[in-house]
Amino acid sequence: MTTFRTPRARRALALILAGLASAAGSAHAQDGTLVMGVRGGPESLDPHYSALGSHAEAAKHIYDTLVWSGDDLQIEPGLATSWEVVDDTTWEFKLREGVKFHDGSDFDAEDVKFSIERIPLVSGPTTTTIYVRRVADVEVIDPLTVRIKTDGPAATLPYDFVRLFIVSSEAAADYSTPETANEGFNGGPAAVGTGPYKLVSWEPKGDLVLERYDEYWRGKGPWAEVIRKEMPNDSSRLAALKAGQVDVINYVSSIDYLALQRDASVEAVVGDSVYVMNLQLDQRDEPPGVRAIDGGALESNPLQDPSVREAIDLAIDRETMVQVVLEGLGKPANQMMPPGFFGSNASIAMPEHDPAKARELLAEAGYPDGFEIDLYCTSDRLPGDGAICQGLGQMLSQVGIRTNVNAISKTVYFPAQGRLEYSVFMNGWGTLTGEASYTLGSLAHSNDPELKLGAYNRVDYANDDVDRLLQEGATELDDDKRRALYEEAMAKTMADKVYISLVQLQTVWAAKANTVTFAPRFDEDTLAFFIQPKN
Amino acid sequence: MSGYVLQRLLQAALVMVAMSAIVFVGVYAIGNPVDIVIPPEATQEIRAATIARLGLDLPLWQQYLIFVRNLFDGDLGRSFIYNEPVLSLIAGRLPATLELVLLSVLSATVFGIALGVYAGYRPDSVLAKAIMAVSVLGFSVPTFWIGLILILTFAVNLGWLPAGGRGQTVDLLGVAWSFPTLDGLRHLVLPAVNLALFKFAMMIRLARAGTREVMLGDTIKFARAAGIRESTILRRHLLKLISIPIITVFGLELGSTLAFAVVTETIFSWPGVGKLIIDSIAVLDRPVMVAYLLLTTLLFVVINLTVDLLFALIDPRIRARGAA
Repeated sequence: MTTFRTPRARRALALILAGLASAAGSAHAQDGTLVMGVRGGPESLDPHYSALGSHAEAAKHIYDTLVWSGDDLQIEPGLATSWEVVDDTTWEFKLREGVKFHDGSDFDAEDVKFSIERIPLVSGPTTTTIYVRRVADVEVIDPLTVRIKTDGPAATLPYDFVRLFIVSSEAAADYSTPETANEGFNGGPAAVGTGPYKLVSWEPKGDLVLERYDEYWRGKGPWAEVIRKEMPNDSSRLAALKAGQVDVINYVSSIDYLALQRDASVEAVVGDSVYVMNLQLDQRDEPPGVRAIDGGALESNPLQDPSVREAIDLAIDRETMVQVVLEGLGKPANQMMPPGFFGSNASIAMPEHDPAKARELLAEAGYPDGFEIDLYCTSDRLPGDGAICQGLGQMLSQVGIRTNVNAISKTVYFPAQGRLEYSVFMNGWGTLTGEASYTLGSLAHSNDPELKLGAYNRVDYANDDVDRLLQEGATELDDDKRRALYEEAMAKTMADKVYISLVQLQTVWAAKANTVTFAPRFDEDTLAFFIQPKN
Repeated sequence: MSGYVLQRLLQAALVMVAMSAIVFVGVYAIGNPVDIVIPPEATQEIRAATIARLGLDLPLWQQYLIFVRNLFDGDLGRSFIYNEPVLSLIAGRLPATLELVLLSVLSATVFGIALGVYAGYRPDSVLAKAIMAVSVLGFSVPTFWIGLILILTFAVNLGWLPAGGRGQTVDLLGVAWSFPTLDGLRHLVLPAVNLALFKFAMMIRLARAGTREVMLGDTIKFARAAGIRESTILRRHLLKLISIPIITVFGLELGSTLAFAVVTETIFSWPGVGKLIIDSIAVLDRPVMVAYLLLTTLLFVVINLTVDLLFALIDPRIRARGAA
């Protein structure tokens, strides 16, 4: 180490170290900059490219949606101020007056038409065409009125439009093919919205830097600058918060949450999540992975027997799952949607936990020694999914259903589930739109490509009453009547116990103590505009 | 010599063909990427349309043929997930990984050799024992754990350095680099140290073992007898003699660190290629996986070739054999 022997060199070294030290640990929240450490980010800055939650979350900073989805996923006016049914297949949207894009041009009906028609051209594999799947034609009546023709009565169209981002028909005109879209948007010239923040720079998987748009129609945002940093590792994100590098983080793990409660410098915000864990039981005649206790074949599929399904439900101790497995970050669930959503049924009772009765029912059904199943779950998709799977396996084994637990990566799970290779499986389902047609229409209706219903019904569940209610609900334009139809469909689906809901998850955010306040959103979005500085 | 180079490149081409075929079959066996990323509202029709648009409805051999045909046009394909040409996707991340890896491998080599030679030269001194103790630590403690401890110590508790991210960058030759700025350097320190530790320990051990062996050999004895100064002996004779295994390991480590810096990149939220490939595997983004593995194979071949050529430069015996 001869280099640092002279006093001058030593002084220089000390200076460098001091320089390194001084710039670190600066809090940002004071000087009008908000730095957010988030788990995932956009896949491009083209809002129409991906339907991924973190993609939409980032897009909401730059662009507005036609219909806004509030903290509890209730629909509210966004760029559209009101909407009404004209006839069975026509909706009319009135647009907000005086809204300007970041480049100073006016927002009008042409931009809405352009955005809707652009989506099928540029959508990626996480396809955004779902938001406009019911749209047959868009008609511009005047600059502030647009009529949407649908391919049939589309009662939930305003719910579809909560993720219909509006881009500028002028700025994005040349960037609306798969080849040019990302170039135009990621490079900047097309990334012009009406949202609360303007794009400064973006690096894929890195930082999204934003600057306040002072003419925003909701009013000036609380932060002059917003930096959205992608930090996929849970521990690193928390470390960055503690080190003062970021002001707010999302998705704090349950283990870290316990530790945070002893740390006065950090505040945690817990919010309900839209995700409910559902156990799904195969109704096919020859389910793979279900066998007799000695490994031989069974005469029939035990999961087709209602009393066996009842026994499985009775074996599950939801309270323990929440308290022990999820460290308290969840709630017992009795249906596939959180309470309060459009179509959730408040009269459904919370299932009991009664292992003795479960054994009795199994014996009566002809399985006094139980049977054996292979249980599959995701282990890396949602907080606690792998642990819930383990707990579930033990609870089922206790009543005599010998369970082989397979908690595996979503990379393997979803393709195999799509190939119908699983008979007993559990994964989370998030009702991202806040209403029942999204959930029941995909899971509870029998799989019918003609009707475009039941696409995720992978257990061959078919209940004629439920099918009828869901078909009626999809075309019923009166809100109260539709709500009643979905509530009934939910009650009937849950009573069949082919889908057994276990727990509703919760999400944790964290911020430096006494710096910011914000309300957790049901869809788990972290939106800078709604994060307020304290004092 | 050129025949030798050609032979090596031909070998590489064969490996690359095998590699791409394995990835195609492997991804096909796991399943359809669309099933992982498609949103739940998608109807059966939308799902089928998405699969068709990515060309995933074709039989596997046909998909592979299309890939090979495009390859001859110099087109490695577009990412399923990002819809960007994979080459630009990888090229966009490479500088971040490159500067991190070069900094860590180079500093590990320089400091590792210096300390290792000392430990071999004065094996019984207290300092040599301390160096060896540190090197055991560097070998045996897992990278991710050291990374977290570094963050905890220097970012959270002491607050000296940032906990992750890349910091300020400047454009040099059209590429964003972070090492020329103070902020960028501050972000580089912890991940570079984390990544360097294992290599540092290995270099110490290699240099020490080589030094101990060579110091007892005839070369050194004769050199000393000839009255050459000790420092000159170390510089001119010892360093040259121990450098062959060190260069081999340096090359291998450089390649493998470039290709697999993923653990460090994840912990420090470093936006490099390691993170890209892991994300791609998680969603079965086959074009990225194939292109990345092909480039990695090429990289290893080039590095090994360079190492072989370097041997010839350093060791006249190898040069003589090559010429014969």
